Amino acid sequence: MGRRWIRWSHKRGMRSSLIGLVTFACVFLKLGLGLGPYSGENTPPMYGDYEAQRHWMEITVNLPFNEWYTYDPQYWGLDYPPLTAYVSWICGIVAHSINPSWVALDSSRGIETAGSKLFMRGSVIAFDTLVYVPALLLFSRMWFVTRSKRTQDLAFLHLMLHPALLLVDFGHFQYNSVMLGLMVMALNCFAIGYDLAGAFFFVLSLGFKQMALYYAPAVGSFLLAKCVLLGPKEGGRLFVRLGLITIATFTVLFIPWIPPFSSSTRAILVPISRIFPFARGLFEDKVANFWCASNIVMKWRKLAAQAILVKAAAVLTLLGFLPSVAVIGKVAWELKTLIPSEAEEGSKLDDKQPSNFSNTPILPLLPYALLNSSMSFFLFSFQVHEKTILLPLMPLILLFAGATPDSEVFQWGALGSNVAVFSMWPLLKKEGLALQYFALTLLWNRLIGYNPLKIMSTFYSMKSFVHVLSAGAYMAIIFLHLLEPIIIPPARYPDLFPVLNVLVSTPVFVCLWLWSIKCCIQVSWAVTGPSGAGAESIDRPRFSSIVSDTNERPSSFRAPISRGVVADRVRTISLGPAHGKRARRSSTHSVPGSTSALPSSVSIFRGNTTVNDRMPDS
Amino acid sequence: MGYLILSTVIKVLLFPAYRSTDFEVHRNWLAITHSLPISQWYYDATSQWTLDYPPFFAYFEKILSIPAAAIDARIVDLNNLNYDSWSVIVYQRSTVIITELVLGAALLKFIRSAVDPPTQRIISASLFLHPGFLIIDHIHFQYNGFMFGILLWSILMARNGKKLMSGILFAVLLNFKHIYMYLAPAYFIYLLRSFCLSPSGQVEIKNFLALANAVIVVFGVSLAPFALTGQIQQLLSRLFPFTRGLNHAYWAPNAWALVTAADRILLKYVKSTGKHIPVNLAGVASTSRGLVGDTVFAVLPNVKPIHTFTITIALQSIILIKLWFHPTYKSFVTALTLCGYSSYLFGWHVHEKAVLLILVPLSLLAAERHAYFRTFVIATVAGVFSLFPLLFTPAESVVEVVYSIVWFAMIYLPLSKRVYEFPKSLSYVILDIIEKIYLGGFLVLQIFVALFPILSRRKGADASGMEFLPLMVTSVYCSIGMVWGFMRLIFIYLHEDTAYQGQLSTIQ
Repeated sequence: MGRRWIRWSHKRGMRSSLIGLVTFACVFLKLGLGLGPYSGENTPPMYGDYEAQRHWMEITVNLPFNEWYTYDPQYWGLDYPPLTAYVSWICGIVAHSINPSWVALDSSRGIETAGSKLFMRGSVIAFDTLVYVPALLLFSRMWFVTRSKRTQDLAFLHLMLHPALLLVDFGHFQYNSVMLGLMVMALNCFAIGYDLAGAFFFVLSLGFKQMALYYAPAVGSFLLAKCVLLGPKEGGRLFVRLGLITIATFTVLFIPWIPPFSSSTRAILVPISRIFPFARGLFEDKVANFWCASNIVMKWRKLAAQAILVKAAAVLTLLGFLPSVAVIGKVAWELKTLIPSEAEEGSKLDDKQPSNFSNTPILPLLPYALLNSSMSFFLFSFQVHEKTILLPLMPLILLFAGATPDSEVFQWGALGSNVAVFSMWPLLKKEGLALQYFALTLLWNRLIGYNPLKIMSTFYSMKSFVHVLSAGAYMAIIFLHLLEPIIIPPARYPDLFPVLNVLVSTPVFVCLWLWSIKCCIQVSWAVTGPSGAGAESIDRPRFSSIVSDTNERPSSFRAPISRGVVADRVRTISLGPAHGKRARRSSTHSVPGSTSALPSSVSIFRGNTTVNDRMPDS
Repeated sequence: MGYLILSTVIKVLLFPAYRSTDFEVHRNWLAITHSLPISQWYYDATSQWTLDYPPFFAYFEKILSIPAAAIDARIVDLNNLNYDSWSVIVYQRSTVIITELVLGAALLKFIRSAVDPPTQRIISASLFLHPGFLIIDHIHFQYNGFMFGILLWSILMARNGKKLMSGILFAVLLNFKHIYMYLAPAYFIYLLRSFCLSPSGQVEIKNFLALANAVIVVFGVSLAPFALTGQIQQLLSRLFPFTRGLNHAYWAPNAWALVTAADRILLKYVKSTGKHIPVNLAGVASTSRGLVGDTVFAVLPNVKPIHTFTITIALQSIILIKLWFHPTYKSFVTALTLCGYSSYLFGWHVHEKAVLLILVPLSLLAAERHAYFRTFVIATVAGVFSLFPLLFTPAESVVEVVYSIVWFAMIYLPLSKRVYEFPKSLSYVILDIIEKIYLGGFLVLQIFVALFPILSRRKGADASGMEFLPLMVTSVYCSIGMVWGFMRLIFIYLHEDTAYQGQLSTIQ
């Protein structure tokens, strides 16, 4: 449906207004969702996440900085990093100017008037539109630069209407889109080589919600790999700059709690201990991760002490994201040994555009690495909440957005996101968002042209592993949904359905995690060649620029041969079919035989991570 | 199919939205038809929301009440007033969505065998997703989608040459909701001229008898149970309560709104200058009561039902004469729109929801020529905007505004390119600019209406008595557009042969 609609509107000359329309339509949808109930509506004395966010506005606007993290921690004390606090502060100021009773200290607790509800809903939508939507728009433009305008618009549409985030942010009520939006902005910056800006945005994302830490291993190893790749001199300089930017941003974020502004040096510990509460249990409620799922068989909390479990979780998480980190490191190392001199030469030649170059060979790995690391955190780490699935979901749907419907990435993406939404079902049902859950899931599947029923009915074809897995998962999901209204769980197992939900979701997430590792390795092969160290005898891939080709292409075409070769070699992987054409075209410009660089198109974003070598006559 | 899913999703999201008293009205009717014998339907007054729709609608409620009783017996409990549990909300809202499929089916049929299917698809989609239906049916709560579905089926039958069927469907529709009488004159003349008379003027006695009998049968089925038990008098008194005032609670944006506004301004003028003009004291009292209740003019002469009736009939007869001589499909649809339009503008106690009677048939003409399209744009924007005050809760008001903007952009962008015509002379250019300024004014108006409560609260107590100002401004501003749209359309219609030939002219 989405594809057809985009085609229709492009033909009807609505191309230029399409983005505005989609954004506006989404605002409508979000408002519509906002009419529904939210977390903790009408449930005194503690209410829910909605009241938590509102309460933070109340305390930030009424209290000085040093009391933010200490004021009555029993009643929704602030336990997110400072950027959340600042955002709440801004909202609080606005709310105060419209209607002071919405954020009056203490007396506004549990306020549920229509006006305040509209304001709260509006604030989420406003921040979403200011941060997340532009980030997605830039993403669709920057990461799919070689693809057609239609594909870019379609990717944007798919990303905008993703039900999981809509349900959590605009139904349940949270500000996840700000964190995710900042993270996507960081990715956009990495894509065009502005690593420093990327690091800045990543720190902001961390500063909004500590959950962004799930991405840290991938981002960190990516940036380190880039430093390695640039060589000791350039790389060292970049490393120092990155470090400075990161520290500076953190300092600015925490400045009210750092000595000149606070009374003591220990003040900084207050927000830190609030943000990382290790004192809580292994998991809360029922969440579709390893610990909760295996808890049915092994009663972890009886078997081991809290401290041991924390360590075990940390070790497992580490093992979980190690593959992607290792792969990034390996790729960087191999590329470094393959083209040591040329890379440096290239860096000299390309001094005018120093950083949008040579980071890019490992860039295609980044989304998979993000998926891998965040999924491993979700599956194995400590104190995971079911809404946290949004984090692994983000890189997955970013990958998904540009995929063609018959590709493997598309299948995994659709499966992953549907199961992710399903994994939040017990939460949504509890909050009275069941209708919205079904409606949005239906809409999105229809929009992307994906039919779970069709997949179920063709499972016997055994087309691929993901096909069979999807069929199985959907059967289980539909079966559970049908069963739930009919069967009342026995008194002994009141949590029967949440547990079954976990048992369905966890295997799928584990498979996704394994798949992300597989993809990391495949992409790394595509980047360095199948056996890596084979050096000169191997067909090295040729990378085409990820940066806007309008700027890049003419210069590289007209460049002298020596420079053209270098540029070709270090330019990175494209994201689509247009690339193949360009590779062929540019290959006619390079002199056959004078170089070992052979054209090969690597199109990871279409899901077929194959190296398509075309041998020129050498 | 895509549209269906999209619209259903939107409507499902609106389940928890604000409900007007019409929701309880319909719930009460479910209870009446379910728990009382048919002889009591039009006598029951347990709730203040008595049954005041024609019998087919009562039968329709009877059918709906059967599953309702199975789902939750408390829905159909007559004394369970203001029942609003989740079960009744979901049930009633779902029935609106499901019965609206009639509209969807009719619109689909319109696309098939259309002169220009891609354009008709846009129009059909626009009607199915019309913000008017969204506001009135899915938030406010009524069954207009279902009944306009029947109307469109009837128009479709007229287009396909099945005029007998068209007449029958319209008769059925009249027995669902008598407000469609606004459109009846156009139907009457059209069917009489093109179906009961041959083109040369000979009476087609067979057709005439068939139509007459069919209509009598429809009315017979509808009214017989009540006629046999001698309730016709009671039924009519419920259907036509002539005790109401000229304007509805808040003025529907019609000609009387303009007249009322002029009266209020004159009164201010008289008061400030102290001129000796006879002032009707009841009218002065009427102004201070804001907009609620009966309207009595202070300066201008009062309007009686007979006046409104005369003006409406006079305007309609001009249109009908034209229709008599040009009984083509396009002429019929235009005349239908104009009949509804003149009743809306000059009728007695017109409700703002009746604007759909204009907008729906007018949509069918939207892609004809630029002139039609521009009329459609002005009437639609003014008409939809005039519906906004129906929803006064903050969240729903934002929802309706945003939705209407998206909807309008989706219609305007593709259609405006399709029908664009180069302006013929300077006067057309000036007109075009003025109309665009008028349309732009709606944005300003919306901002004013949205900010007014905040501003007046800042000012404090001196704003009391002004709380109706936004409503009044809205009503007057919309009525300018509505009246202008009417003048445009009637001009286009009367000049049809010479100046305006569109694609629908090919249908005989």
